[in-house]
Amino acid sequence: MLWKRIGLKDFEFPKVHDYKKDYIKIEGKFPKEVKINRISESENKYFDIEFSGVGDKFTSFAKKYYNAGIQLRLPRNTKIVEPVKLEFHMDENNPTLVDKNLIIAEEGSEVNIIMDYYSNEKIETLHNGLTVIYAKENATVNIIKIQRLGDSSQSFDSNIAYVEGNGKVNWISVELGSYISGSNYRTYLDGEASGSNLSSIYLGDGIRKMDLEYTMIHKGPRSISNIETKGVLKDNSKKVFRGNLDFKRGSRHSKGVEEEYVILLDPTVKSDSIPALLCDEDDVEGEHAASAGQIDENKLFYLMSRGLDERESKKLVVEASFRPIIDRIPYKYLQEIIFDEIERRLIDA
Amino acid sequence: MEKYLLNINDLKVTIEDKEILKGLNLQIKEGETHVIMGPNGSGKSTLAYTLMGHPSYEITQGGIQFDGEIINEMKADERARKGIFLSFQYPEEIPGITVEEFLRTSKTSITGEMQKIIPFRRLLKTKMEHLGMDESYASRYLNLGFSGGEKKKNEILQMSILEPKLAILDETDSGLDVDAIKIVAESVMKIKDEKCSILVITHYNKLLEYLEPDYVHILMDGKIVKTGGVELANQIDEIGYENIKAEFSNI
Ligand SMILES: Nc1ncnc2c1ncn2[C@@H]1O[C@H](COP(=O)(O)OP(=O)(O)O)[C@@H](O)[C@H]1O
Ligand SMILES: [Mg+2]
Repeated sequence: MLWKRIGLKDFEFPKVHDYKKDYIKIEGKFPKEVKINRISESENKYFDIEFSGVGDKFTSFAKKYYNAGIQLRLPRNTKIVEPVKLEFHMDENNPTLVDKNLIIAEEGSEVNIIMDYYSNEKIETLHNGLTVIYAKENATVNIIKIQRLGDSSQSFDSNIAYVEGNGKVNWISVELGSYISGSNYRTYLDGEASGSNLSSIYLGDGIRKMDLEYTMIHKGPRSISNIETKGVLKDNSKKVFRGNLDFKRGSRHSKGVEEEYVILLDPTVKSDSIPALLCDEDDVEGEHAASAGQIDENKLFYLMSRGLDERESKKLVVEASFRPIIDRIPYKYLQEIIFDEIERRLIDA
Repeated sequence: MEKYLLNINDLKVTIEDKEILKGLNLQIKEGETHVIMGPNGSGKSTLAYTLMGHPSYEITQGGIQFDGEIINEMKADERARKGIFLSFQYPEEIPGITVEEFLRTSKTSITGEMQKIIPFRRLLKTKMEHLGMDESYASRYLNLGFSGGEKKKNEILQMSILEPKLAILDETDSGLDVDAIKIVAESVMKIKDEKCSILVITHYNKLLEYLEPDYVHILMDGKIVKTGGVELANQIDEIGYENIKAEFSNI
Protein backbone atom coordinates (compact mmCIF):
# COMPACT_ATOMS: atom_id res chain seq x y z
CA MET A 1 0.00 0.00 0.00
CA LEU A 2 2.84 2.31 0.83
CA TRP A 3 4.14 2.16 -2.68
CA LYS A 4 0.93 2.57 -4.61
CA ARG A 5 1.33 6.27 -4.81
CA ILE A 6 4.69 6.08 -6.42
CA GLY A 7 3.87 2.96 -8.41
CA LEU A 8 6.04 0.22 -6.97
CA LYS A 9 3.78 -2.64 -6.09
CA ASP A 10 5.37 -5.19 -8.41
CA PHE A 11 8.92 -4.71 -7.28
CA GLU A 12 11.26 -7.71 -7.73
CA PHE A 13 14.62 -7.98 -6.05
CA PRO A 14 17.64 -8.90 -8.15
CA LYS A 15 20.01 -11.65 -7.04
CA VAL A 16 22.24 -10.33 -4.30
CA HIS A 17 25.99 -10.80 -4.74
CA ASP A 18 28.70 -10.06 -2.24
CA TYR A 19 29.38 -6.44 -1.55
CA LYS A 20 33.12 -6.51 -1.90
CA LYS A 21 34.17 -3.03 -0.95
CA ASP A 22 35.40 -1.85 2.33
CA TYR A 23 32.92 0.53 3.86
CA ILE A 24 33.85 0.99 7.52
CA LYS A 25 36.03 4.08 7.82
CA ILE A 26 37.42 4.94 11.17
CA GLU A 27 39.87 7.73 11.65
CA GLY A 28 40.23 8.11 15.38
CA LYS A 29 41.31 5.48 17.87
CA PHE A 30 38.44 3.94 19.73
CA PRO A 31 38.71 2.29 23.12
CA LYS A 32 39.12 -1.43 22.57
CA GLU A 33 35.88 -2.26 24.35
CA VAL A 34 34.04 -0.58 21.51
CA LYS A 35 33.12 -3.31 19.08
CA ILE A 36 32.57 -2.51 15.45
CA ASN A 37 32.23 -5.51 13.18
CA ARG A 38 30.58 -6.54 10.01
CA ILE A 39 27.09 -7.70 10.76
CA SER A 40 26.68 -11.40 11.45
CA GLU A 41 24.01 -13.89 12.36
CA SER A 42 24.93 -13.80 16.02
CA GLU A 43 22.84 -10.67 16.40
CA ASN A 44 19.69 -11.93 14.75
CA LYS A 45 17.64 -11.64 17.92
CA TYR A 46 17.90 -7.85 17.78
CA PHE A 47 16.20 -7.89 14.41
CA ASP A 48 13.32 -9.98 15.63
CA ILE A 49 11.07 -6.93 15.67
CA GLU A 50 7.86 -5.90 14.12
CA PHE A 51 8.77 -3.19 11.71
CA SER A 52 7.66 -2.93 8.14
CA GLY A 53 9.70 0.18 7.36
CA VAL A 54 9.34 1.05 3.69
CA GLY A 55 7.45 -2.22 3.28
CA ASP A 56 7.52 -5.73 4.79
CA LYS A 57 8.99 -7.08 1.62
CA PHE A 58 11.98 -4.79 1.98
CA THR A 59 12.70 -5.27 5.67
CA SER A 60 12.29 -9.05 5.54
CA PHE A 61 14.59 -9.14 2.55
CA ALA A 62 17.23 -7.10 4.37
CA LYS A 63 17.01 -9.34 7.43
CA LYS A 64 17.74 -12.41 5.32
CA TYR A 65 19.80 -11.41 2.31
CA TYR A 66 22.03 -8.65 3.59
CA ASN A 67 25.47 -8.34 2.05
CA ALA A 68 26.86 -5.52 4.19
CA GLY A 69 26.31 -3.59 7.41
CA ILE A 70 27.77 -3.30 10.87
CA GLN A 71 27.14 -4.28 14.42
CA LEU A 72 28.34 -1.70 16.84
CA ARG A 73 28.22 -2.02 20.57
CA LEU A 74 29.16 0.74 22.94
CA PRO A 75 29.84 -0.28 26.51
CA ARG A 76 28.48 1.67 29.46
CA ASN A 77 29.52 5.30 29.76
CA THR A 78 31.77 5.09 26.73
CA LYS A 79 31.66 8.23 24.66
CA ILE A 80 33.39 8.39 21.32
CA VAL A 81 33.71 11.71 19.61
CA GLU A 82 35.32 10.71 16.31
CA PRO A 83 32.49 9.58 14.05
CA VAL A 84 32.01 6.03 12.89
CA LYS A 85 31.81 6.43 9.13
CA LEU A 86 30.16 4.02 6.78
CA GLU A 87 30.82 4.91 3.17
CA PHE A 88 28.92 2.88 0.66
CA HIS A 89 30.32 3.79 -2.72
CA MET A 90 28.45 1.56 -5.10
CA ASP A 91 29.88 0.76 -8.53
CA GLU A 92 29.68 -1.62 -11.55
CA ASN A 93 31.06 -4.49 -9.52
CA ASN A 94 28.94 -3.78 -6.48
CA PRO A 95 25.62 -2.64 -7.86
CA THR A 96 23.48 -4.13 -5.12
CA LEU A 97 23.76 -3.16 -1.51
CA VAL A 98 21.62 -4.68 1.19
CA ASP A 99 22.92 -3.31 4.43
CA LYS A 100 21.74 -4.38 7.81
CA ASN A 101 23.01 -2.39 10.74
CA LEU A 102 22.75 -2.76 14.47
CA ILE A 103 23.77 -0.12 16.95
CA ILE A 104 23.56 -0.76 20.65
CA ALA A 105 24.48 2.13 22.89
CA GLU A 106 24.61 0.94 26.48
CA GLU A 107 23.72 3.14 29.43
CA GLY A 108 25.38 6.55 29.39
CA SER A 109 27.30 5.99 26.17
CA GLU A 110 27.51 8.30 23.19
CA VAL A 111 28.34 7.80 19.53
CA ASN A 112 28.29 9.68 16.22
CA ILE A 113 27.60 7.77 13.05
CA ILE A 114 27.71 8.86 9.42
CA MET A 115 26.23 6.66 6.72
CA ASP A 116 26.84 7.90 3.21
CA TYR A 117 25.43 6.18 0.11
CA TYR A 118 26.64 7.23 -3.31
CA SER A 119 27.23 6.00 -6.83
CA ASN A 120 28.10 7.36 -10.23
CA GLU A 121 25.30 8.81 -12.29
CA LYS A 122 25.20 6.13 -14.99
CA ILE A 123 25.29 2.93 -12.96
CA GLU A 124 22.06 1.16 -12.10
CA THR A 125 22.23 0.36 -8.43
CA LEU A 126 19.88 -0.89 -5.80
CA HIS A 127 20.13 -0.05 -2.16
CA ASN A 128 17.95 -1.65 0.48
CA GLY A 129 18.89 -0.93 4.05
CA LEU A 130 17.73 -1.69 7.55
CA THR A 131 19.15 0.01 10.60
CA VAL A 132 18.15 -0.80 14.17
CA ILE A 133 19.28 1.32 17.09
CA TYR A 134 18.97 0.62 20.79
CA ALA A 135 19.76 3.64 22.95
CA LYS A 136 19.74 2.64 26.61
CA GLU A 137 19.27 4.92 29.64
CA ASN A 138 21.11 8.21 29.17
CA ALA A 139 22.74 7.11 25.95
CA THR A 140 23.00 9.38 22.92
CA VAL A 141 23.18 8.27 19.31
CA ASN A 142 23.70 10.93 16.64
CA ILE A 143 23.26 9.50 13.21
CA ILE A 144 23.54 11.20 9.83
CA LYS A 145 22.32 9.43 6.72
CA ILE A 146 23.08 10.78 3.28
CA GLN A 147 21.52 9.27 0.21
CA ARG A 148 23.10 10.75 -2.92
CA LEU A 149 22.98 7.82 -5.30
CA GLY A 150 22.91 8.53 -9.03
CA ASP A 151 19.74 8.99 -11.03
CA SER A 152 19.73 5.39 -12.29
CA SER A 153 19.52 4.04 -8.74
CA GLN A 154 16.78 2.94 -6.44
CA SER A 155 17.01 3.38 -2.73
CA PHE A 156 14.97 1.89 0.09
CA ASP A 157 15.87 2.60 3.63
CA SER A 158 14.18 1.54 6.87
CA ASN A 159 15.35 2.81 10.23
CA ILE A 160 14.11 2.14 13.70
CA ALA A 161 15.25 3.23 17.14
CA TYR A 162 14.25 2.28 20.67
CA VAL A 163 15.11 4.99 23.15
CA GLU A 164 15.11 4.38 26.90
CA GLY A 165 14.82 6.92 29.72
CA ASN A 166 16.78 10.14 29.18
CA GLY A 167 18.28 8.59 26.09
CA LYS A 168 18.46 10.41 22.79
CA VAL A 169 18.54 9.48 19.16
CA ASN A 170 19.16 12.36 16.78
CA TRP A 171 18.65 11.58 13.12
CA ILE A 172 19.72 13.75 10.24
CA SER A 173 18.55 12.55 6.88
CA VAL A 174 19.68 14.01 3.57
CA GLU A 175 17.83 12.74 0.51
CA LEU A 176 19.30 13.89 -2.77
CA GLY A 177 19.52 10.97 -5.18
CA SER A 178 17.97 7.90 -6.87
CA TYR A 179 15.01 7.95 -9.23
CA ILE A 180 12.98 6.09 -6.65
CA SER A 181 13.62 6.64 -3.00
CA GLY A 182 11.73 5.31 -0.01
CA SER A 183 12.87 6.38 3.37
CA ASN A 184 11.31 5.39 6.66
CA TYR A 185 12.25 6.38 10.18
CA ARG A 186 10.47 5.14 13.26
CA THR A 187 11.49 6.04 16.77
CA TYR A 188 10.06 4.59 19.97
CA LEU A 189 10.42 6.93 22.92
CA ASP A 190 10.10 4.19 25.47
CA GLY A 191 11.40 5.75 28.67
CA GLU A 192 10.86 8.75 30.82
CA ALA A 193 12.23 11.87 29.13
CA SER A 194 13.43 9.95 26.09
CA GLY A 195 14.08 12.30 23.21
CA SER A 196 14.49 12.24 19.49
CA ASN A 197 15.09 14.81 16.79
CA LEU A 198 14.73 14.06 13.14
CA SER A 199 16.04 16.80 10.89
CA SER A 200 15.87 16.20 7.20
CA ILE A 201 16.22 17.76 3.83
CA TYR A 202 15.18 16.41 0.47
CA LEU A 203 15.65 17.57 -3.07
CA GLY A 204 13.52 16.25 -5.90
CA ASP A 205 14.67 16.81 -9.45
CA GLY A 206 14.16 15.13 -12.81
CA ILE A 207 11.62 12.33 -12.44
CA ARG A 208 12.51 11.34 -8.88
CA LYS A 209 9.76 9.81 -6.78
CA MET A 210 10.13 9.98 -3.04
CA ASP A 211 8.17 8.38 -0.28
CA LEU A 212 9.20 9.63 3.13
CA GLU A 213 7.64 8.50 6.36
CA TYR A 214 8.75 9.66 9.78
CA THR A 215 7.11 8.33 12.92
CA MET A 216 7.61 9.19 16.55
CA ILE A 217 5.92 6.91 19.05
CA HIS A 218 5.75 8.31 22.55
CA LYS A 219 5.43 5.77 25.34
CA GLY A 220 7.44 7.24 28.18
CA PRO A 221 6.24 10.25 30.16
CA ARG A 222 7.83 13.62 29.39
CA SER A 223 9.31 12.30 26.19
CA ILE A 224 10.12 14.82 23.50
CA SER A 225 10.27 14.53 19.76
CA ASN A 226 10.93 16.95 16.99
CA ILE A 227 10.67 16.44 13.24
CA GLU A 228 11.86 19.21 10.99
CA THR A 229 11.95 18.77 7.26
CA LYS A 230 12.85 21.15 4.47
CA GLY A 231 12.31 20.12 0.89
CA VAL A 232 12.68 21.46 -2.59
CA LEU A 233 10.99 19.97 -5.63
CA LYS A 234 11.70 20.79 -9.23
CA ASP A 235 11.12 19.42 -12.74
CA ASN A 236 8.72 16.45 -12.64
CA SER A 237 9.60 15.13 -9.23
CA LYS A 238 7.01 13.68 -6.88
CA LYS A 239 7.00 13.36 -3.15
CA VAL A 240 4.79 11.90 -0.47
CA PHE A 241 5.63 12.93 3.06
CA ARG A 242 4.04 11.29 6.08
CA GLY A 243 4.79 12.59 9.52
CA ASN A 244 3.22 10.63 12.36
CA LEU A 245 3.10 11.53 16.02
CA ASP A 246 1.67 8.79 18.18
CA PHE A 247 1.13 9.34 21.89
CA LYS A 248 0.54 6.04 23.65
CA ARG A 249 -0.96 5.45 27.07
CA GLY A 250 1.51 6.56 29.71
CA SER A 251 3.18 9.25 27.66
CA ARG A 252 1.72 12.06 29.73
CA HIS A 253 3.48 15.46 29.62
CA SER A 254 5.13 14.48 26.36
CA LYS A 255 5.58 16.80 23.47
CA GLY A 256 5.98 16.21 19.78
CA VAL A 257 6.42 18.71 17.00
CA GLU A 258 6.58 18.12 13.28
CA GLU A 259 7.20 20.66 10.57
CA GLU A 260 7.62 20.30 6.87
CA TYR A 261 8.36 23.17 4.50
CA VAL A 262 8.72 22.59 0.82
CA ILE A 263 9.54 24.95 -2.01
CA LEU A 264 7.96 24.06 -5.31
CA LEU A 265 10.20 25.38 -8.06
CA ASP A 266 8.11 24.19 -10.99
CA PRO A 267 4.37 23.80 -11.52
CA THR A 268 5.02 20.26 -12.80
CA VAL A 269 6.04 18.83 -9.42
CA LYS A 270 3.72 16.93 -7.13
CA SER A 271 3.87 17.23 -3.38
CA ASP A 272 1.66 15.40 -0.89
CA SER A 273 1.96 15.89 2.83
CA ILE A 274 0.02 13.74 5.22
CA PRO A 275 0.53 14.57 8.87
CA ALA A 276 -1.09 12.34 11.48
CA LEU A 277 -1.55 12.87 15.17
CA LEU A 278 -2.73 9.98 17.36
CA CYS A 279 -3.43 10.37 21.06
CA ASP A 280 -4.23 7.73 23.69
CA GLU A 281 -3.15 10.09 26.43
CA ASP A 282 -4.74 13.44 27.30
CA ASP A 283 -2.00 15.41 28.83
CA VAL A 284 0.29 15.68 25.81
CA GLU A 285 1.18 18.32 23.29
CA GLY A 286 1.37 17.57 19.60
CA GLU A 287 1.91 20.15 16.92
CA HIS A 288 2.25 20.01 13.24
CA ALA A 289 2.86 22.60 10.61
CA ALA A 290 3.30 22.19 6.91
CA SER A 291 3.61 24.57 4.05
CA ALA A 292 4.23 24.21 0.38
CA GLY A 293 4.77 27.19 -1.80
CA GLN A 294 6.76 28.83 -4.49
CA ILE A 295 10.11 30.34 -3.88
CA ASP A 296 9.91 33.48 -1.76
CA GLU A 297 9.70 36.22 -4.36
CA ASN A 298 10.78 38.93 -1.95
CA LYS A 299 13.97 37.10 -1.05
CA LEU A 300 14.69 36.54 -4.71
CA PHE A 301 14.09 40.21 -5.43
CA TYR A 302 16.33 41.29 -2.57
CA LEU A 303 19.25 39.28 -3.95
CA MET A 304 18.64 40.35 -7.53
CA SER A 305 18.52 43.98 -6.46
CA ARG A 306 22.16 43.53 -5.54
CA GLY A 307 23.08 42.46 -9.04
CA LEU A 308 22.92 38.67 -8.65
CA ASP A 309 21.23 37.03 -11.62
CA GLU A 310 18.05 35.04 -11.25
CA ARG A 311 19.68 31.60 -11.30
CA GLU A 312 22.27 32.50 -8.72
CA SER A 313 19.62 34.14 -6.55
CA LYS A 314 17.31 31.14 -6.77
CA LYS A 315 20.13 28.86 -5.81
CA LEU A 316 20.89 31.00 -2.78
CA VAL A 317 17.27 31.07 -1.64
CA VAL A 318 17.00 27.29 -1.99
CA GLU A 319 20.25 26.77 -0.11
CA ALA A 320 19.05 29.16 2.53
CA SER A 321 16.02 26.97 3.15
CA PHE A 322 18.25 23.89 3.63
CA ARG A 323 20.84 25.72 5.67
CA PRO A 324 19.33 25.50 9.15
CA ILE A 325 19.27 21.69 8.84
CA ILE A 326 22.68 21.33 7.23
CA ASP A 327 24.21 23.54 9.89
CA ARG A 328 23.31 20.82 12.39
CA ILE A 329 25.84 18.54 10.74
CA PRO A 330 29.01 19.17 12.71
CA TYR A 331 31.37 18.11 9.90
CA LYS A 332 32.44 20.76 7.42
CA TYR A 333 33.53 18.25 4.76
CA LEU A 334 30.07 16.67 4.78
CA GLN A 335 28.35 20.04 4.51
CA GLU A 336 30.47 20.73 1.45
CA ILE A 337 29.68 17.38 -0.15
CA ILE A 338 26.00 18.05 0.37
CA PHE A 339 26.07 21.59 -1.00
CA ASP A 340 28.11 20.52 -4.04
CA GLU A 341 25.54 17.87 -4.80
CA ILE A 342 22.65 20.32 -4.32
CA GLU A 343 24.36 22.84 -6.54
CA ARG A 344 25.03 20.23 -9.20
CA ARG A 345 21.40 19.19 -9.21
CA LEU A 346 20.05 22.74 -9.18
CA ILE A 347 22.38 24.37 -11.67
CA ASP A 348 23.65 21.76 -14.10
CA ALA A 349 20.27 20.28 -14.87
CA MET B 1 17.57 70.71 -22.51
CA GLU B 2 18.02 69.53 -18.94
CA LYS B 3 19.64 66.18 -18.41
CA TYR B 4 18.09 63.97 -15.78
CA LEU B 5 19.57 60.88 -14.18
CA LEU B 6 16.06 59.72 -13.34
CA ASN B 7 13.00 60.83 -15.21
CA ILE B 8 9.66 59.36 -14.21
CA ASN B 9 6.81 60.25 -16.43
CA ASP B 10 3.12 59.84 -15.64
CA LEU B 11 3.80 56.53 -13.95
CA LYS B 12 0.93 54.23 -13.10
CA VAL B 13 1.58 51.06 -11.18
CA THR B 14 -0.77 48.30 -10.05
CA ILE B 15 -0.27 45.46 -7.66
CA GLU B 16 -2.70 42.58 -7.71
CA ASP B 17 -4.96 44.65 -9.96
CA LYS B 18 -5.06 47.52 -7.50
CA GLU B 19 -3.72 50.82 -8.80
CA ILE B 20 -1.27 52.29 -6.29
CA LEU B 21 0.69 54.86 -8.27
CA LYS B 22 -1.68 57.00 -10.28
CA GLY B 23 0.33 59.20 -12.59
CA LEU B 24 3.51 60.07 -10.78
CA ASN B 25 6.13 62.48 -12.11
CA LEU B 26 9.61 62.93 -10.69
CA GLN B 27 12.87 64.19 -12.13
CA ILE B 28 16.22 63.85 -10.42
CA LYS B 29 19.52 65.22 -11.69
CA GLU B 30 22.95 63.89 -10.97
CA GLY B 31 24.09 64.68 -7.44
CA GLU B 32 20.72 65.93 -6.23
CA THR B 33 19.05 64.81 -3.04
CA HIS B 34 15.27 64.43 -3.11
CA VAL B 35 12.97 63.56 -0.26
CA ILE B 36 9.60 61.88 -0.47
CA MET B 37 7.24 62.13 2.46
CA GLY B 38 3.69 60.94 2.68
CA PRO B 39 1.17 59.20 4.89
CA ASN B 40 1.33 55.44 5.41
CA GLY B 41 -0.02 53.54 2.46
CA SER B 42 0.36 56.43 0.03
CA GLY B 43 2.63 54.40 -2.24
CA LYS B 44 6.19 55.34 -1.21
CA SER B 45 7.52 51.80 -0.99
CA THR B 46 5.63 50.93 -4.13
CA LEU B 47 7.59 53.63 -5.91
CA ALA B 48 10.86 52.33 -4.47
CA TYR B 49 10.10 48.71 -5.46
CA THR B 50 8.96 49.75 -8.91
CA LEU B 51 12.16 51.69 -9.50
CA MET B 52 14.19 48.65 -8.46
CA GLY B 53 12.11 46.29 -10.63
CA HIS B 54 10.07 44.10 -8.29
CA PRO B 55 8.19 41.66 -10.54
CA SER B 56 4.90 41.98 -8.62
CA TYR B 57 4.58 45.66 -9.41
CA GLU B 58 3.16 46.16 -12.86
CA ILE B 59 3.68 49.36 -14.79
CA THR B 60 0.47 50.06 -16.69
CA GLN B 61 1.34 53.48 -17.99
CA GLY B 62 4.24 55.86 -18.26
CA GLY B 63 7.90 55.21 -18.14
CA ILE B 64 11.00 55.28 -16.05
CA GLN B 65 14.06 56.65 -17.75
CA PHE B 66 17.36 56.12 -16.01
CA ASP B 67 20.70 57.31 -17.27
CA GLY B 68 19.26 57.89 -20.74
CA GLU B 69 17.47 54.57 -21.09
CA ILE B 70 13.90 53.41 -20.52
CA ILE B 71 14.18 50.72 -17.88
CA ASN B 72 10.53 49.62 -17.53
CA GLU B 73 11.28 46.09 -18.76
CA MET B 74 14.60 45.59 -17.02
CA LYS B 75 14.98 43.02 -14.28
CA ALA B 76 16.25 44.01 -10.86
CA ASP B 77 19.76 42.67 -11.42
CA GLU B 78 20.15 44.66 -14.65
CA ARG B 79 18.98 47.79 -12.88
CA ALA B 80 21.47 47.17 -10.11
CA ARG B 81 24.22 46.88 -12.68
CA LYS B 82 23.08 50.18 -14.22
CA GLY B 83 23.58 51.84 -10.85
CA ILE B 84 20.30 51.79 -8.95
CA PHE B 85 20.39 50.79 -5.30
CA LEU B 86 17.51 50.32 -2.90
CA SER B 87 17.94 50.30 0.83
CA PHE B 88 14.98 48.12 1.81
CA GLN B 89 12.43 49.15 4.40
CA TYR B 90 12.36 45.48 5.44
CA PRO B 91 15.60 43.74 4.45
CA GLU B 92 15.36 39.96 3.91
CA GLU B 93 17.22 37.35 5.95
CA ILE B 94 19.24 34.85 3.92
CA PRO B 95 20.92 32.12 5.94
CA GLY B 96 23.69 30.34 4.08
CA ILE B 97 25.57 33.29 2.67
CA THR B 98 27.64 35.57 4.84
CA VAL B 99 27.60 39.35 4.57
CA GLU B 100 31.12 39.26 3.17
CA GLU B 101 30.56 36.51 0.59
CA PHE B 102 27.33 38.15 -0.49
CA LEU B 103 28.79 41.59 -0.94
CA ARG B 104 31.80 40.28 -2.77
CA THR B 105 29.55 38.36 -5.17
CA SER B 106 27.37 41.40 -5.53
CA LYS B 107 30.24 43.81 -6.18
CA THR B 108 31.75 41.40 -8.71
CA SER B 109 28.47 41.20 -10.52
CA ILE B 110 27.84 44.94 -10.52
CA THR B 111 31.31 46.08 -11.52
CA GLY B 112 31.98 43.11 -13.82
CA GLU B 113 35.35 42.79 -12.13
CA MET B 114 36.36 39.88 -9.96
CA GLN B 115 36.81 41.12 -6.41
CA LYS B 116 39.90 39.65 -4.84
CA ILE B 117 39.42 38.35 -1.33
CA ILE B 118 42.11 40.28 0.52
CA PRO B 119 41.58 43.79 -0.91
CA PHE B 120 37.84 43.33 -0.66
CA ARG B 121 38.10 42.32 2.96
CA ARG B 122 40.13 45.45 3.64
CA LEU B 123 37.53 47.64 1.92
CA LEU B 124 34.72 45.98 3.84
CA LYS B 125 36.51 46.42 7.12
CA THR B 126 37.00 50.16 6.54
CA LYS B 127 33.38 50.67 5.58
CA MET B 128 32.19 48.70 8.59
CA GLU B 129 34.33 50.80 10.86
CA HIS B 130 32.76 53.97 9.46
CA LEU B 131 29.35 52.57 10.27
CA GLY B 132 30.37 51.43 13.72
CA MET B 133 29.60 47.83 12.81
CA ASP B 134 31.51 45.11 14.57
CA GLU B 135 33.80 43.17 12.23
CA SER B 136 32.18 39.91 13.24
CA TYR B 137 29.10 40.85 11.22
CA ALA B 138 31.07 40.19 8.04
CA SER B 139 31.06 36.48 8.73
CA ARG B 140 27.46 36.27 9.86
CA TYR B 141 24.68 35.09 7.62
CA LEU B 142 23.06 37.92 5.72
CA ASN B 143 20.70 39.74 8.08
CA LEU B 144 19.93 36.56 10.02
CA GLY B 145 19.11 37.50 13.58
CA PHE B 146 20.17 41.11 13.06
CA SER B 147 18.16 43.68 15.00
CA GLY B 148 16.09 46.19 13.04
CA GLY B 149 18.81 48.82 13.39
CA GLU B 150 21.58 46.41 12.40
CA LYS B 151 19.69 45.45 9.26
CA LYS B 152 19.39 49.10 8.28
CA LYS B 153 23.07 49.69 8.85
CA ASN B 154 23.83 46.63 6.78
CA GLU B 155 21.81 48.18 3.94
CA ILE B 156 23.91 51.31 4.12
CA LEU B 157 27.06 49.22 4.23
CA GLN B 158 25.97 47.58 0.99
CA MET B 159 25.26 50.98 -0.51
CA SER B 160 28.70 52.32 0.31
CA ILE B 161 30.41 49.24 -1.08
CA LEU B 162 28.38 49.13 -4.28
CA GLU B 163 28.66 52.89 -5.02
CA PRO B 164 25.47 53.33 -7.03
CA LYS B 165 24.47 56.29 -9.18
CA LEU B 166 21.08 56.50 -7.53
CA ALA B 167 20.48 55.39 -3.95
CA ILE B 168 16.89 55.02 -2.80
CA LEU B 169 16.55 54.88 0.97
CA ASP B 170 13.17 53.54 2.00
CA GLU B 171 12.68 54.54 5.64
CA THR B 172 16.27 53.66 6.41
CA ASP B 173 16.11 55.93 9.43
CA SER B 174 13.12 54.16 11.01
CA GLY B 175 14.25 52.07 13.92
CA LEU B 176 17.56 53.88 14.29
CA ASP B 177 18.48 55.93 17.34
CA VAL B 178 19.84 59.46 16.92
CA ASP B 179 23.47 58.36 17.03
CA ALA B 180 22.90 55.70 14.42
CA ILE B 181 21.09 58.21 12.20
CA LYS B 182 24.11 60.47 12.34
CA ILE B 183 26.44 57.62 11.40
CA VAL B 184 24.19 56.56 8.52
CA ALA B 185 23.93 60.17 7.34
CA GLU B 186 27.71 60.40 7.18
CA SER B 187 27.90 57.38 4.90
CA VAL B 188 25.21 58.82 2.69
CA MET B 189 27.08 62.16 2.53
CA LYS B 190 30.17 60.29 1.39
CA ILE B 191 28.51 58.72 -1.62
CA LYS B 192 26.79 62.03 -2.29
CA ASP B 193 30.22 63.58 -2.63
CA GLU B 194 30.83 61.07 -5.37
CA LYS B 195 27.96 62.62 -7.38
CA CYS B 196 25.47 59.97 -6.36
CA SER B 197 21.84 61.07 -6.46
CA ILE B 198 19.74 60.26 -3.42
CA LEU B 199 16.05 59.61 -3.03
CA VAL B 200 15.11 59.52 0.63
CA ILE B 201 11.77 58.20 1.83
CA THR B 202 11.27 59.24 5.42
CA HIS B 203 8.88 60.32 8.14
CA TYR B 204 11.45 62.14 10.22
CA ASN B 205 13.50 65.29 9.86
CA LYS B 206 16.51 64.10 11.76
CA LEU B 207 18.19 62.57 8.71
CA LEU B 208 17.35 65.64 6.62
CA GLU B 209 19.22 67.94 8.98
CA TYR B 210 22.38 66.25 7.78
CA LEU B 211 21.50 65.62 4.18
CA GLU B 212 20.27 69.10 3.18
CA PRO B 213 17.92 67.96 0.44
CA ASP B 214 17.38 69.97 -2.73
CA TYR B 215 13.69 69.07 -2.96
CA VAL B 216 10.98 67.69 -0.73
CA HIS B 217 7.97 66.02 -2.38
CA ILE B 218 4.73 65.03 -0.80
CA LEU B 219 3.25 61.76 -2.07
CA MET B 220 -0.44 61.23 -1.50
CA ASP B 221 -2.73 58.64 -2.94
CA GLY B 222 -0.25 57.64 -5.63
CA LYS B 223 0.74 61.09 -6.84
CA ILE B 224 3.19 63.79 -5.95
CA VAL B 225 0.90 66.58 -4.81
CA LYS B 226 3.37 69.15 -3.64
CA THR B 227 7.04 69.94 -4.07
CA GLY B 228 9.13 72.40 -2.11
CA GLY B 229 12.32 72.78 -0.14
CA VAL B 230 13.24 71.72 3.38
CA GLU B 231 10.61 74.09 4.78
CA LEU B 232 7.96 71.68 3.50
CA ALA B 233 9.42 68.90 5.62
CA ASN B 234 9.43 71.17 8.65
CA GLN B 235 5.84 72.16 8.04
CA ILE B 236 4.78 68.51 7.94
CA ASP B 237 6.76 67.80 11.03
CA GLU B 238 4.73 70.46 12.84
CA ILE B 239 1.24 70.08 11.50
CA GLY B 240 1.12 66.77 9.67
CA TYR B 241 -0.55 66.09 6.36
CA GLU B 242 -4.03 67.36 7.19
CA ASN B 243 -3.62 70.79 5.60
CA ILE B 244 -2.22 69.39 2.42
CA LYS B 245 -4.95 66.78 2.29
CA ALA B 246 -7.59 69.46 2.66
CA GLU B 247 -5.92 71.61 0.02
CA PHE B 248 -6.04 68.79 -2.49
CA SER B 249 -9.46 67.47 -1.76
CA ASN B 250 -10.76 70.94 -2.61
CA ILE B 251 -9.49 70.83 -6.15
N1 LIG C 1 2.36 43.18 -2.08
C1 LIG C 1 1.22 43.92 -1.96
N2 LIG C 1 0.03 43.34 -2.18
C2 LIG C 1 -1.11 44.05 -2.08
N3 LIG C 1 -1.17 45.34 -1.78
C3 LIG C 1 -0.03 45.99 -1.53
C4 LIG C 1 1.24 45.31 -1.62
N4 LIG C 1 2.22 46.19 -1.34
C5 LIG C 1 1.58 47.34 -1.09
N5 LIG C 1 0.25 47.24 -1.20
C6 LIG C 1 -0.73 48.28 -0.99
O1 LIG C 1 -0.31 49.42 -1.70
C7 LIG C 1 -0.54 50.59 -0.94
C8 LIG C 1 0.74 51.38 -0.82
O2 LIG C 1 1.66 50.67 -0.04
P1 LIG C 1 3.14 51.18 0.18
O3 LIG C 1 3.71 51.55 -1.13
O4 LIG C 1 3.85 50.13 0.96
O5 LIG C 1 2.91 52.46 1.06
P2 LIG C 1 3.91 53.33 1.94
O6 LIG C 1 5.28 52.80 1.71
O7 LIG C 1 3.72 54.71 1.44
O8 LIG C 1 3.46 53.19 3.34
C9 LIG C 1 -1.12 50.17 0.38
O9 LIG C 1 -2.51 50.30 0.32
C10 LIG C 1 -0.76 48.71 0.47
O10 LIG C 1 -1.71 48.00 1.20
MG1 LIG D 1 6.75 51.95 3.00
